[in-house]
Amino acid sequence: MISVQTAPFDVGAEQRLLTRERTDIGAVVSFTGLVRDFNERPDVQALTLEHYPGMTERALRDIVTEAEGRWCLQGVRLIHRVGRLEPGDPIVMVAVASAHRRHAFEACDFIMDYLKTRAPFWKKEHTVSGQYWVAERNKDIEDAKRWEAT
Amino acid sequence: MSLTHLNSRGEAHMVDVGDKAETRREAIAGGRIHMRSETLALLAEGGLPKGDVLATARIAGIQAAKKTHELIPLCHALALSKVEIRFEPDSANSCIEVTATCRLTGRTGVEMEALTAVSVACLTLYDMCKAVDKDMRIDGVRLLSKTGGKSGDYQRDEAVDSQDMSASALPAAQYQRHVSTDVRDMPMITGESPDGHISIAPRNEQPCVQVKLLAELRERLGISDVDIPFESLPSPTVAGLKQALRLHDERFSLLTERRVLCAVNQVMSADDMSLTDGDEVAFFPPVTGG
Repeated sequence: MISVQTAPFDVGAEQRLLTRERTDIGAVVSFTGLVRDFNERPDVQALTLEHYPGMTERALRDIVTEAEGRWCLQGVRLIHRVGRLEPGDPIVMVAVASAHRRHAFEACDFIMDYLKTRAPFWKKEHTVSGQYWVAERNKDIEDAKRWEAT
Repeated sequence: MSLTHLNSRGEAHMVDVGDKAETRREAIAGGRIHMRSETLALLAEGGLPKGDVLATARIAGIQAAKKTHELIPLCHALALSKVEIRFEPDSANSCIEVTATCRLTGRTGVEMEALTAVSVACLTLYDMCKAVDKDMRIDGVRLLSKTGGKSGDYQRDEAVDSQDMSASALPAAQYQRHVSTDVRDMPMITGESPDGHISIAPRNEQPCVQVKLLAELRERLGISDVDIPFESLPSPTVAGLKQALRLHDERFSLLTERRVLCAVNQVMSADDMSLTDGDEVAFFPPVTGG
């Protein structure tokens, strides 16, 4: 399940949906990204997240499909929010179910690394000293490259 | 009358079109996907789980027209000058009418491209809606009209068809009226548009490339959508489009000065990617989600 939405999400409810009526799942790993009140500048008051409707959903689907090809997964739920968000708000959630924990840990890590470098989302930060679009980070690009050799 | 794709021994072969005269050719094909009224309502309000249904199906249809020669064995690869996909939701008959128009100046007809575009647009609608409705039915895929070329113009008589097609088939006169006004003027439905979303503009009559600027690029230029006439491109590629944009407005030099990504019909593309009329080309900064 992949969703790009403005509404908040409930990680517990998403995890229950992932494991509902199944007893073959041995591990669920979930990651939730939150809005921080400091980033490129201190005192971030809000974020505005933009996406490219159509292309973003497809990019996310491609990333999940690639993860499903690399690891034995029994379910993935991926939610990314767009619109205006404030510090403490959840932005993104990836929940991965597998028979064994290693597959779930690695697939979750992989999906987030690829999401940050391949999915069309853009963040604008609103701070006490003004607003600006967030620049790409080399660290994110390096993190995504880790998966290319394997 | 003989079949041109069979030679004198009855074997399949590709028709040699080298000696045919280049003429302006156009074909319009139609098709229809029936669905439950609740599905149609969800689609109209953008409430389906896979998101922007009509925008995705339109792009799928355009891409399919360009790839027809890869799917149909004896079709030539054509440099289409125009592909346009239109959708008309019909709540009375609980279906969506899909029409595809393909055009080029060349030596072969483009009806296979138009029929392929309609078929794939319908299949994409099915894929995008199947989570909520598995009873959908695709039918009425047909050539509506064809102009240019030696074999002469063709115009389907829908009144004759309606005897053996479903009751929702439109009589010819009514169809013509729909094409000339309603369908053409109807904007794409893109569903809800909260902050940060951009809607797709109504289709343009002049052959154009639809340029979209996203995020910081849009704010710096103060432009979200611009249609660039296809004829104004120095070359029919992304690089040619960048040149044309710069001639249109010097500020578009931003597209070459900074690290800017490009997607053609929502697929990441480089400067040498070829373009045709009706393509959607988006420029945007490196991504920063998560």
